Amino acid sequence: MKIVIKNLEVWYNSVKALSNVSLEIVEGEMTFVIGPNGAGKSTLLKAISLLVSPKKGVVYIDGRDARLYSARELAKMVTYVNPYISKTIPSTVLEYLMTARYPHRNLLSFKEDKRDLEVIEKVSQQMNIAHLLNRRLDQLSSGELQRVIIARALIQQPEVILLDEPSAFLDLRYRLEILEYIKRITKTEGTVTIIAIHDLYLASLYADKVILLSNGSIVAYGNTEEVLKKEIIENIYGVRIAILKVNNKHIIAPIEPVKKVDCVRSD
Amino acid sequence: MAMELYRISVKRFFMIFFSLSIILLFTFVLSLSIGSTVVNPVDVFIKLVYNFIYTMLDIFGVPHSPIGFGADKVYNIAMLRLGRTVASVLTGFLLGVAGLLIQTVTRNPLAEPYILGLSSTALTAITIGIIIAPNIIVHRWTLMTIAFIGSLLGFTLTLVLSRLAGGTSISLVLAGIAVNALFSGVSHTLLYSIQKIIKIHYVFLLMGSTSTILLGDTILLLAPSLTGITVALLMFKMLNAFIYGDEYAKQLGYNPGIVLIITSTIVSILTASTVAVIGIVGFIGLAAPHISRLLVGTDHRFSIPVVAVIGAVITTIADIIVRIISLLSAGLGELPLGVITSTIGAPFLAYLIIKRMKGYEDSY
Repeated sequence: MKIVIKNLEVWYNSVKALSNVSLEIVEGEMTFVIGPNGAGKSTLLKAISLLVSPKKGVVYIDGRDARLYSARELAKMVTYVNPYISKTIPSTVLEYLMTARYPHRNLLSFKEDKRDLEVIEKVSQQMNIAHLLNRRLDQLSSGELQRVIIARALIQQPEVILLDEPSAFLDLRYRLEILEYIKRITKTEGTVTIIAIHDLYLASLYADKVILLSNGSIVAYGNTEEVLKKEIIENIYGVRIAILKVNNKHIIAPIEPVKKVDCVRSD
Repeated sequence: MAMELYRISVKRFFMIFFSLSIILLFTFVLSLSIGSTVVNPVDVFIKLVYNFIYTMLDIFGVPHSPIGFGADKVYNIAMLRLGRTVASVLTGFLLGVAGLLIQTVTRNPLAEPYILGLSSTALTAITIGIIIAPNIIVHRWTLMTIAFIGSLLGFTLTLVLSRLAGGTSISLVLAGIAVNALFSGVSHTLLYSIQKIIKIHYVFLLMGSTSTILLGDTILLLAPSLTGITVALLMFKMLNAFIYGDEYAKQLGYNPGIVLIITSTIVSILTASTVAVIGIVGFIGLAAPHISRLLVGTDHRFSIPVVAVIGAVITTIADIIVRIISLLSAGLGELPLGVITSTIGAPFLAYLIIKRMKGYEDSY
């Protein structure tokens, strides 16, 4: 499994969100997408999962133009995880997780497959949400909900996992645990894993490859050490950083903004 | 854990569906027994069972002694109410399922066909149809088609208005109220002017009544309710995925636009057929889905059959109340059915709004 993106260009009405993006992303590696707000991180993930259609360019999944797959084939292969789901109609965690197996089943099969429930069981044990299965989605804490949403993606058993801000509502322990878990799955199952994230510290800790986006174009793409360099990050983010060496890894620690916000009132 | 929970929910569904069916049977018999002449429900039940057994024997050609109670008074009185009772059961089926589907498709627990203006636009379409071609009134299926077009247009109008107003759950309800008020007024005026043609008091169409229904008319309700329930059940997976958002449904390989169109069409057919046959009955579609979700959860495989039976029980009880009131007050004629359902349903809406506004307001 490999994802090749060629000259991708995405527009939202009259706003250009991505321009001239060409990438090659291989399986078994954690690829992190970083960049300031509005850089096009989510758009890139959505374009790969065909949730937005590009104006120009092609996404090849496993050597084939993604648009040539049927919706169901694509749903079996690719999953995109958005931290926001609608929960206005109250449903339980189990009901939500069961929907994730639908791409693998016939549209009209009424009986729940035993294997599907076993997958749900296994993943929910590993994600530590088994005790939540009977709870309603709107009664979960934001951290619990986040774990449920990520568990959903893994239950779908895709070959391409696209995570949009998976760490947003999690506490320190779960941030590390979940990324650790996703890393394990990436290595053992050989999935293509692309994670859009704001936290540079987590990116430097878990990434094999990093894509740095700014204003819709790629600034740098490559191995973690090559992209997460002091000059590049300070220039793009406008933040002073320090790079620490821990366990043979370059860890990024943000220090202060380059431009201090002027707090003295002018009047 | 997942396996057990799923088994429990399946077991729960069958138990609840069974108990609700018993309750429906009970209300059905009660409805046959209560009216201007009250007969003993136990008597009615026994005679129904007898009649059923003899009919079965006849059908399978088993020789038997002639039916025990010939032209029995109790039985005949009960049979006079068969038409309206069947009509109220079917109306409940239709409105319960319509309510559940419209809540799913708008992802809004406050949605209901009457509140969102589908009923009054259907009625307006019917009255316009009658004004243009008065003889249409005898072509019931044509009348229903016209009503369907009316309610589909009404739903579209409400959705467009609510999107323009920001697309929150409250803006949807407010848009519905505006559409509903406008077309209630229009249909009220038009119905008044064509009263001579329709021959029954127009209030009955405005607020719904089962008192004029004949047993033969109920096929007009049976056909759409069977089609609607079947199609909705067949697409249960899409509906289950749809409640978590358009993007989510799309990711699972379903086209949210198509789900929206098919479901809106079913809702409009269901609502329109009740309006064309018995008139506007509000609020059934609001209460029934909430009760069914409380009992069997959100999975549409379970909630669609359950919501149908709950709707039927509520409507039949409301129709019994209509007759009890006219019995007690000795007034002229009967109250419309919609008056009772609104009186029960509107406080429920108020409760839901309070519960909702106190929490957070998220857009859908």
